[in-house]
Order: sequence, then C-alpha cells, then structure tokens
Amino acid sequence: MSEFSPRIEAFLAEFRSRQEEFKNLSEQVFDLLRHALDGQGIEINTIECRVKSEKSFVVKLGHKGEKYHKLEDITDLVGLRVVTYYTDDVDKVAAIVKNLFTVDWEKSVDKRKRQLDSFGYLSLHYICRLREGSWPFEIQMRTALQHVWSAVEHDIGYKGDVKLPPEYQRQFSRLAGMLELADVEFSRLRTTMADYRRHVRALVKSGRLDEVPLSTDSFKSYLELRPFERLNRRIAAINQAELYPSSPLPFMPLLESFKLETIGDVHNFIEENTEDACQLAISALAMTDLDILSDTIGLQNLCFVHVLKQGMGRVGVKYIYDVINGEQESNFVLADIIVKQASSLPFMQKISNSDVK
Amino acid sequence: MKTTFKEEGKDLVMYFEGRLDTSAAAQTEREMQVLYNCDGHDVILDCTQLEYISSSGLRLFLSLLKAAKPKGSHVYITGMNDNLRQVFAMTGFTNLFEFK
Repeated sequence: MSEFSPRIEAFLAEFRSRQEEFKNLSEQVFDLLRHALDGQGIEINTIECRVKSEKSFVVKLGHKGEKYHKLEDITDLVGLRVVTYYTDDVDKVAAIVKNLFTVDWEKSVDKRKRQLDSFGYLSLHYICRLREGSWPFEIQMRTALQHVWSAVEHDIGYKGDVKLPPEYQRQFSRLAGMLELADVEFSRLRTTMADYRRHVRALVKSGRLDEVPLSTDSFKSYLELRPFERLNRRIAAINQAELYPSSPLPFMPLLESFKLETIGDVHNFIEENTEDACQLAISALAMTDLDILSDTIGLQNLCFVHVLKQGMGRVGVKYIYDVINGEQESNFVLADIIVKQASSLPFMQKISNSDVK
Repeated sequence: MKTTFKEEGKDLVMYFEGRLDTSAAAQTEREMQVLYNCDGHDVILDCTQLEYISSSGLRLFLSLLKAAKPKGSHVYITGMNDNLRQVFAMTGFTNLFEFK
C-alpha cells in the first residue's frame, strides 16, 4: 500500500511522467539566459539550473499540498538561479529575464522589498514561461552575498517560520544589515572606480599627463597610447626581431621606486632615456642573432639607463632584475654584463667625466 | 640535442641536453608535445645540461608557456647556466617565466 494519499500519488505520477519535458525546459531556459547574459557582458558569479528532486517535491506537497489544484500550480519544478557579484546587476539580469520570457507578475516576488523587521533572505524570484500557455519555471536572482546568506541560513536551519528569542533575532538582523551594506558599498565602489578610470583616460587622452597620478589603472590607460612602441621598434630593427607581447605591469614597482609620481613623470622618463636605452640595447643585441624579443624590451632598457645615470651601478641593475625576475644572487652576473655593455656608451662616459671633475 | 621526459610526482619534467638551436628545434618541438597535456600540473624545463638556446628554442619555450597558462599550469625553468640566463635577460623574457 502506498504511503501517500491518492491525491499526492496522482501528482507524483504526473511529475514522474514529465521528467524529460522538465529537463529539456531547464536546459533550453539555461541556454537562452546564458546567451543573453553573455551578450550583455554582465559578469555572473554562477548560473545554475535544476529540476526539482522527487524527494523535495514530496516534502513540498506534504507541507503545502492543499494549496495546489494541479501540477502546474507548483511553479518551481524547473528552477534557475543567477548569482551576480553586484546588487545593481540583479536588476540588469531581471530586465533581461523580462525581455526573454513571459513573467507572471502575480506569482513573482521581490523579497528585497520585504519589511525591514523581516531580516535575512533578500532575493528576486520571477515565475516565467517561454510563452503564454507553456510550462512555468522559476528564476531566482541574487548577489553572491545574498547567496552566502541563504546558504548559511539553510545550514543553521532557520527558515523564518520559527519564533526566535530577541537576542538571536538581533544577531541575524546585524548580519543581514552588514551584508546588505557590503552589497551596496561594493556597487558604489564599482561605480566610483569606473568614474575614476573614465576621468584618468580623459586626462591621458587630452595630454594632461602631469595631472594623472601614477597607478596601475592610469598606467594601463597610458599604455593605450603605445608609449614604448617607437623604442621597441628601433630595438627590434637591430636583428629584424619579432616582438612578443608581454605585459609591462611587472615594471610598475620599479617606476614607483624611481619616484615617478605622475604619468607625466613616466612620459619624461621615456623621453629623457630613449636614445641611451636604444644604444644600450644595440650594444647587447648587435653581436647576437636573437630575433625574438619581449615587447617590454624598451622599458627594461629604459630602467637600466635610469639607474645607471643615477650612479647606482650593478646594485641598481641587480635591483631591476630582482623585481622582474625574483630576488637571487645570480642576478649580479646579469647586472655585471649590463654594466660592462653600458660602460663604453656616451651617457656612462658623461657620468664618469663628471665624477672626475 | 637530447631531451628526456619524466613524470616526477605530479610534475611533468623535461631534461634538455646539448644545443637547442635552429637545426634541433623541429625535433625538440615534437618531443615537447607531451608537455602540452599538462592540464594544471606544473611543467619543469630542466636546463642543467643545456649549453645554448637560440631564438628558435626560445619560441618553443614561449609557445609551451602560452598553451600551459590557460590550463592553470606553471612553467618553471631550472638549472640555467649564466649564458642561457643572459639570453633570457637580453630578450626581456625573464619576467615571463618562473625560474627555480
């Protein structure tokens, strides 16, 4: 004899018979949504889909069975969850969902608009259909922090339907408030950083380089002007070498250690040292047949010239290798080679002469 | 030019011996193919017995690095003599590889 009532047995039989249909629906919705989100360039933490398990289905019927007249009334048999990094992006995802699917507004719920004394789980749930009359499915949209909250809440076993002592309610409220605040602040920070990047890019493009503090962001914007290209091409021409793309960002700590405070300082550093850096590279490469070079080759030689002009000698050159290559004693061998190659160049001779005077 | 491939623990290790110049590059490239199946495991290029590397050799190392990085693998170079080290330094490739 069955452990379930005839009514639940009937629901269960239909639920089982439609498994293939549910699986196809969940995959179809997943693909449509994934494609649309990619197209809009929204960075998503995770997107997942599932068909409700039989166990969970039975539990749900046990709790709320009388509420449902037919299987279609249970709207989360097929469910998708989209987890975003930023709270603003939940609304963007929601807008995309609205465009893609038919949303049942009566059954959809924005739990983010709960009353303030109902602490905790904040998330946006839309009940959707591919088109009028097709099978419903649920899409949950939330941020990564809301997801964390939900996971912890589930682990603790609190579902909001148990009356908690006030001191525990306060703990939940404090945590919920903290996470909500963090979500808002992350979004605000992203907007602020985007504004700053736009501002820096505008200053760099307009040539007001002295007004732009040197930072990873501003340096990246400056690189769009290809400031090392002319020097790299001159060096590559020595052996008709191919230039292999490589990020100059590992050189940032060096530029900062040279006390270059603005992009204007970096620009002047390039202008002042380009000719000598080119001569130094020629003295190193002309006797070789090396025809592939990193496109940081110009910047590397600019740094060598800078420290040698500062009178820092082999210790200064070793420091450059320590920064870009990892600190090791054998960098002295490389530094000595650079110092020797530079010794016959005009800029070093000027330094020697001024030392004698 | 001779190469020897070994799996040491989870690492894929290739030992290089001799001169990795243009004439040896094609054969070495074929022998290095096994390293492209790194799938997240570290790759170690042991250059203790490598006497010389030309641009062709550098290209082989760079090509391997380019393929290994997206798979989450690190490419380490060990045992380089001063001449080899100088080649990497002169070409500006020291900051691309990890040296042990």
